[in-house]
Amino acid sequence: MSGGNATRWPKMTGRDEFRFLADLVLTKSLGDDTMVTLHDLHSGTARFANNQVVQNVDTRRGTLAVTVAFGRRHGTASTTDFTAGSIQETLAQAEHIARISPEEPEYLPPPEPQPFEVRETARPETMAAGPIRRLEYANEAISHCRMENLMAAGIVSSSASSVGVAANNGLFGYEARADARFSLTVQAGDATGWSAAAHRSVDHLKIQERTLAAIDKAKRSRDPIELPAGPYPVLLEPAAVAGLWTWLMWSLDAKSYDKGVSPFAGKLGGRIVDERLMLRNVPRHADLFGVGFTAEGLPSVPSTWIDRGVLTQLAHDRFTAKIHGVKDIPTLEAPELSVEGAASGLVQDLIKRTDRAILVTNFWYIRTVNPSDLTLTGMTRDGTFLVEKGEIVSAVKNFRFHDSPLRAFQHIDAATAPMEAVTSETGKMLVPAMVLPQFNFSSVTRF
Amino acid sequence: MASPSWEEFADLALRRIKASGAEYGDIRIQRSTTESILGEDRRIASIRSIEDSGFGVRVLYHGAWGFAASSILSLEEVPRVADLAVEIARGSASIAVEKVRLAEEPIHCDRIVTPVRIDPATVPLDQKTSLLLNAMEALHGRRGIVRSTAEVWWRRDRKHFESTEGSVLDCDLLAAHGAISSTALHEGRFATRSCNTPHLRKGYELIEEAALLQEAPRVADQAFEKVTAPAVENGQYDMVLDSEHLSLTMHESCGHPTELDRVLGYEANYAGTSFLTTDKLGSFRFGSPHVTLVADNTEPETLAATGYDDDGVACQRWDIVRDGLFVGYCTNREVASKIGEQRSRGSNRADGWGSMPIVRIANIGLAPGTATLDQLIAGVKRGIYIEGQGSYSIDQRRYNFQFGGDAFWLIENGKRTHMLRDVIYHGITPEFWNSCDGVADRTFRRRYGFITCGKGQPAQSGWMTHAASPARFRNAQVIRGEGRS
Repeated sequence: MSGGNATRWPKMTGRDEFRFLADLVLTKSLGDDTMVTLHDLHSGTARFANNQVVQNVDTRRGTLAVTVAFGRRHGTASTTDFTAGSIQETLAQAEHIARISPEEPEYLPPPEPQPFEVRETARPETMAAGPIRRLEYANEAISHCRMENLMAAGIVSSSASSVGVAANNGLFGYEARADARFSLTVQAGDATGWSAAAHRSVDHLKIQERTLAAIDKAKRSRDPIELPAGPYPVLLEPAAVAGLWTWLMWSLDAKSYDKGVSPFAGKLGGRIVDERLMLRNVPRHADLFGVGFTAEGLPSVPSTWIDRGVLTQLAHDRFTAKIHGVKDIPTLEAPELSVEGAASGLVQDLIKRTDRAILVTNFWYIRTVNPSDLTLTGMTRDGTFLVEKGEIVSAVKNFRFHDSPLRAFQHIDAATAPMEAVTSETGKMLVPAMVLPQFNFSSVTRF
Repeated sequence: MASPSWEEFADLALRRIKASGAEYGDIRIQRSTTESILGEDRRIASIRSIEDSGFGVRVLYHGAWGFAASSILSLEEVPRVADLAVEIARGSASIAVEKVRLAEEPIHCDRIVTPVRIDPATVPLDQKTSLLLNAMEALHGRRGIVRSTAEVWWRRDRKHFESTEGSVLDCDLLAAHGAISSTALHEGRFATRSCNTPHLRKGYELIEEAALLQEAPRVADQAFEKVTAPAVENGQYDMVLDSEHLSLTMHESCGHPTELDRVLGYEANYAGTSFLTTDKLGSFRFGSPHVTLVADNTEPETLAATGYDDDGVACQRWDIVRDGLFVGYCTNREVASKIGEQRSRGSNRADGWGSMPIVRIANIGLAPGTATLDQLIAGVKRGIYIEGQGSYSIDQRRYNFQFGGDAFWLIENGKRTHMLRDVIYHGITPEFWNSCDGVADRTFRRRYGFITCGKGQPAQSGWMTHAASPARFRNAQVIRGEGRS
């Protein structure tokens, strides 16, 4: 590729341009309240399988959404067409909806203006990464696998986005954000190994390190033995822990809590997991995807959600926050899970200290079975092993699990410090690898 | 100066692709209009009108793909994006080992329009919000109900496709959907019962025919009956599954494993691969002789019946499983040629202008049998009748699955008795379909659409419809969906 004219994309919507677009709406709106949000995304992905590129895409999509309210009647319209005529039509559509929509008892006007903390969300090296860089990284992973006579499938992606929020009460926020991702599944015949990374900086994807880890997993996964379903001690790698905790975090909705239809009903302020577990939002952390403000126009702030096993926060919208008297609404876009007093070290150190356990690299297709007690199901994937007397002794055929994180994390036998974890179905977290005394596997599959 | 037409933009892009020396290229210009009205707990929580427009250019250069897309449809942007797609394809070609070869397809010039009796855009908004508010009121008027939802949704897609081969296709497609649900609380437990119109390519008549307001009392009463019902006991049960439930079971265990791109490893890093490897085609006993699965992308009103797919291939009808034998895949022009098939099945679809099309599950349906629903139930000594969709999960090769449902009734001695709660069954796909010993007749056939089928990286949402009549399965393994069963 030449990197010539075709790769120079139109400039992303800048702060001043967003202010201009927002003013175009705010000065002409007839509504009592008007709010404008921007999401301008330029993203690309090199996707590979069977050791060659099968998709190589680059997409620019800008979206402007307008919400108008007359009293408690509100409506929202959005467009991807940023011409003046289209934006006026979008405003008119939002006004039309708002005029004839029924009164919304939970409606609240836009948040009061406030300064948002400036975070390092835009990394120039990622914003500048284009198809050439993505292809180079893909080729690096493929080359390692070819040398080992293995098959690589995965993605390298990078994106730059402009995000903005503005309202007719003076609220204004603008942020440029970057995102880079790498994931790789290595196939060694019927066996697979996996590794993944996500970071604001494309320089932190650690392609070689992750590729070698996936290759090692794939090789170790050959010739799996079949073990019967049942309860086992487990050593969960960070991605597996993140998979379970993501569902726990998704279930913290305050409205469901208030209606009594939450697995946490009546448990706010009570201990819900092991008393050494801490769950915090750490938006300043360089390895997480913290932001300065949310799509609702609220600041993202550091907060503690689970303090030594005790549930201290619920996930509020502005209405439930008002009912509960919560002034600073906590967010959880940059989660860090930690175990107080956990020994530092790596997964390998946990293996050495483990007498017998099933080691799980990752879970797949996790879904709720019973929302009342947060019973979940899902499959182990891409690296499931039997650990005995401090060593991995064999690959094992994949299990289906049937358990609740609210039971499984009641007691933790051992843990590492938090590490980067990203899965194909969830966002990025910092979580420890953990050894749990018992986890329920309900059936076995054929591989 | 008037803005150029979509045809003129397409011509501009295709000229540049042809000049680059690429062997194939196409452009899709699309404008999608969506209206979504969501009700929650007796209030209208949101009304959104979404206009999403843009174009995507796909180029095959020396046997490798490049794709670029933009929401800016202008005389500057179209040639720039077309050139970028060529450059990206050149990059892909630089490390290509096996070159992509497209299966042959006749040139098509056509226009496809969804027949609509009532255009949902012309239905007054307050008529729709009143329906949802009244339905939620009816739900909350019943015993034990603490939460409710109600929804009306529709989307119109206007699309122009042109390829360097000469195909020119215009589509004006519509789909709609409506739903209500209620959640009952009892002794600290809660359970939800729902009622959905299927997602179909119909107008607002779909919502009217569903009679959501009239259904609301039944839905609410069954939510309470469900939460107060006894929990199922673990064990083996015969199962009679209704059409809506089967649509999800078929989607996960029959649809996905028959996507040929998965079989060939394209999805190994995300959605997974498939146990239905190419050596099994024509010889593998997928199900019992009662099981015939037909892919039909030509059936009117179904989501994948778009006239042509995003390869420009005409939609078709073919068998996936015939009398229990696995006989067919869902393919596109790229993967069809890899297994020696002369023509694509026409199942290559993108979820919008910004996505590259990938192989998608067709409208796969279970062919009707000869029984009635009562006859299926009468043939069960101890079993469970399941309606609707609930929890679902399946492994990355589509062997080991687990499903719940929306409502469960115990069958004893050939009679449907009382409701059960927390029913979960799991199994291995071919063993399960080989245990099918009866399918109800055509009068029981119903269709259910999916619009959130996740696949691909970047992730895309696929649309398709699955039709079935109720069917019976023997000796399924059932566990209680609570605690450590």
